[in-house]
Amino acid sequence: MADKELLLHAEQIDKSFGPTHAVDHVSLDFYKGEVHCLIGENGSGKSTFTNMLTGILPIGSGTFTLEGTQVAPKNQVDANHLGIAIVVQEQGTLDGLTVAENMFLGDEGQFMRGGIKDTRAMVKKAQELLDDYGFGHIKAQDPIENYTFEERKLVEIVKATWFNPKVLVVDETTTALSQDGRDHLFRIIHRVRDHGDCVIMIDHDMDIVMAISDRISILRDGEYIGTVATEEVDADRLKTLMVGREMNEKYYRTDWGPSLAQDVAITMSHVSVPGQLEDVSLELHNGEILGIGGLSECGMHEVGKALFGASFDRTGEVRLADGTEINDINTAIDRGIAYTSKDRDNESLLINDTIADNITLPSLRDYGKFITASKVRSEAEKYADLMSTKMVGVSQFVSALSGGNKQKVVIARWLAKGSDILLLDSPTRGIDIKVKSDIYNLLDEMRKQGKAILIISEEIAELMGMCDRILIMKDRKIAAELARDRDLTDTDIIQYMI
Amino acid sequence: MESFLKRARSSQFYGIGVLLVITLIVWVVFFALTSVINPGSFGQPDKMLTYLQRGLIYSVGACGFYFVVVQGLFDFSIGSMIILSELMSIAFIPRLGWLSVVVVPILTGMALGLINGLVFRTLRIPSMIVTTGMSLIFEALSVVVADINGTRLPAQYSIFGSYPWNLIFALACFCIVGFIIKYTRIGTYSSAIGSNELVAKNMGVSVNRYKVMALMLSGTFCGAMAVLYLGYGTAQTPQTGMLSQALNFLPLMGVFFGIAFRRYGHPIVAIVIGEFMVSMMLAGFIAIGVSTTVNQIVTGLTVLVILMLTTKVRNGAVVK
Repeated sequence: MADKELLLHAEQIDKSFGPTHAVDHVSLDFYKGEVHCLIGENGSGKSTFTNMLTGILPIGSGTFTLEGTQVAPKNQVDANHLGIAIVVQEQGTLDGLTVAENMFLGDEGQFMRGGIKDTRAMVKKAQELLDDYGFGHIKAQDPIENYTFEERKLVEIVKATWFNPKVLVVDETTTALSQDGRDHLFRIIHRVRDHGDCVIMIDHDMDIVMAISDRISILRDGEYIGTVATEEVDADRLKTLMVGREMNEKYYRTDWGPSLAQDVAITMSHVSVPGQLEDVSLELHNGEILGIGGLSECGMHEVGKALFGASFDRTGEVRLADGTEINDINTAIDRGIAYTSKDRDNESLLINDTIADNITLPSLRDYGKFITASKVRSEAEKYADLMSTKMVGVSQFVSALSGGNKQKVVIARWLAKGSDILLLDSPTRGIDIKVKSDIYNLLDEMRKQGKAILIISEEIAELMGMCDRILIMKDRKIAAELARDRDLTDTDIIQYMI
Repeated sequence: MESFLKRARSSQFYGIGVLLVITLIVWVVFFALTSVINPGSFGQPDKMLTYLQRGLIYSVGACGFYFVVVQGLFDFSIGSMIILSELMSIAFIPRLGWLSVVVVPILTGMALGLINGLVFRTLRIPSMIVTTGMSLIFEALSVVVADINGTRLPAQYSIFGSYPWNLIFALACFCIVGFIIKYTRIGTYSSAIGSNELVAKNMGVSVNRYKVMALMLSGTFCGAMAVLYLGYGTAQTPQTGMLSQALNFLPLMGVFFGIAFRRYGHPIVAIVIGEFMVSMMLAGFIAIGVSTTVNQIVTGLTVLVILMLTTKVRNGAVVK
């Protein structure tokens, strides 16, 4: 990068959470006019590093130097004033506020005249920005809760970029966006780069990393491993650098023979959910992995909820092989059905509770009248260890875990419960390739044990690699059913989606 | 028709319109009942003004309480702050005259709210516990203050107990709090803190500072409510043993309405209409001869049913 000018230098950045050394004396350079991807397994310290840069976390030790000036932002707005912005992985907008208030939260000063907020000017400016970005369908004066997760993410993107930050951090945002939303994001990233600024991007999707970045830095267990020019590496080499060994064991299933599926585990008949599903019927067999794919808003995410008895205003029927109707969550759990939501932090985890409580929560009713702390602890430890969860102990709070380890906790919960039907919505969202590989192996093992598994996924490769059958959804209906086939291609699937 | 309804629902005045229609229905129902059971006992213009007068009093108290509840906190010292503010007003009348009728209770409420906030911030224990503990202290202080100049407001100082001054004073309070919500940072930050405190903190919001401010605003508007309440009742005896808690709940009713309808952008208007409706219902039940106990049960249940029917929560939404 001899021809590029240094923009940001990180010197010996270090951070610990109790006994966990999250970032271990990392030094890194970022140049003007580059897209710099940070990659690494879950828990490798990427988000902790960028959170310190953007004021979300205080810096443990070390220094960030931006254009020759040492910076240590106290919070995100302070970082913005220094020219550093971030689009966070999870939801970063707040209910109860309008779109405009969210966009300028903490930075209302520009609209204050003698301590009085000029609400009209704020809404006008926000709407101008939304229009300018091509998001004119989002109205600045509306309450933010009127909009979908993806639309709220688009608001965050505008909020983080409208003032032309020198450094823009995009932390695992693509997984929350549809293809259209991703196209918008990539256009904005290119605009920031072409303006001579720097984009630091965290993403687990190697295709995206390879397509969009100029350089890639790898972190492993909090340590800096190295930086490579994107044009000089391939995805396999990056995986090896991330994991620290050759990734030569199988990643997806390698069997292509006839499906093991025999008897039906659960049936969905003519199920409709207003605005989500229209007359959807399917059968999930024991010993089968059934995939459901489609565009983000096609209704596929509602299928898992409907099978789990968690849909509202559902019509139609969900029935187990023994005739039991599933109309509520308690019956579903009692009859061995497990469900993991795409929105892991809000719908699957008790984020401010311990790993032990999270793992044992649905199993508590099986422990008898009196629940002892030692029983909870030993059960939690057993299943957390089984999932190789990277943690200090089961009394650690889930909020301190990385995305992949959080997902391990969710799966461990249902393993502990002994569920036979697993409904997994986006099971590998925001998860690194090592954990992905572990989860795929586990699912394949469970399939062989005769468990019925449903995977809802926006990753076509995952559907093709893991599923015995794939149902493609479009406009809230099932558009096609495809059998597991070595010759199946992305194009075959996409043609039914769009 | 369908597109008209859709347009109406998306209007910012939809929530207020619905509340007004329900208020009208409540009036019609009680008027019809009392016409049969006890003619002339409910709903005439002069009586409606009385219901409004009581509604205005509690609405003013609810205005400050609103900030506390929006932030996810609670204030159990509302009643004790109102009583102490009233008694402080009476105590200083010989020295300060009219100043003591208006300024002293407001400043007292503000000081008590600030104390609540600072104790909450210093001790870092839940607001419910802090304000419950503080209400015991405020109750004890009210006994001491009552000894200074008695418990009666001299008749010449009771102008805020009747029209037009009660209305003028209440409208001034509503304008001030409406202004605070819409045109200052406190309104936005209170919603942000209630929604997700951590994210608000990351956006540079001084969360602790705004929590203290919310509790202080709560106290300030308790003081303002005390001006109207004392003018209306013209006397206030000190309460001990948590008896002041009974005064918490009528302002809280208004806050329910404010919170439920805030997404339509007019929480204060919702508070005022809600309090007026509750006041009218309480009077209506008395007019048809329902006992006080049954009256309170039915009023409570009716308010819950109205809120349930009018604030349709999206299926699956988290309700706290």
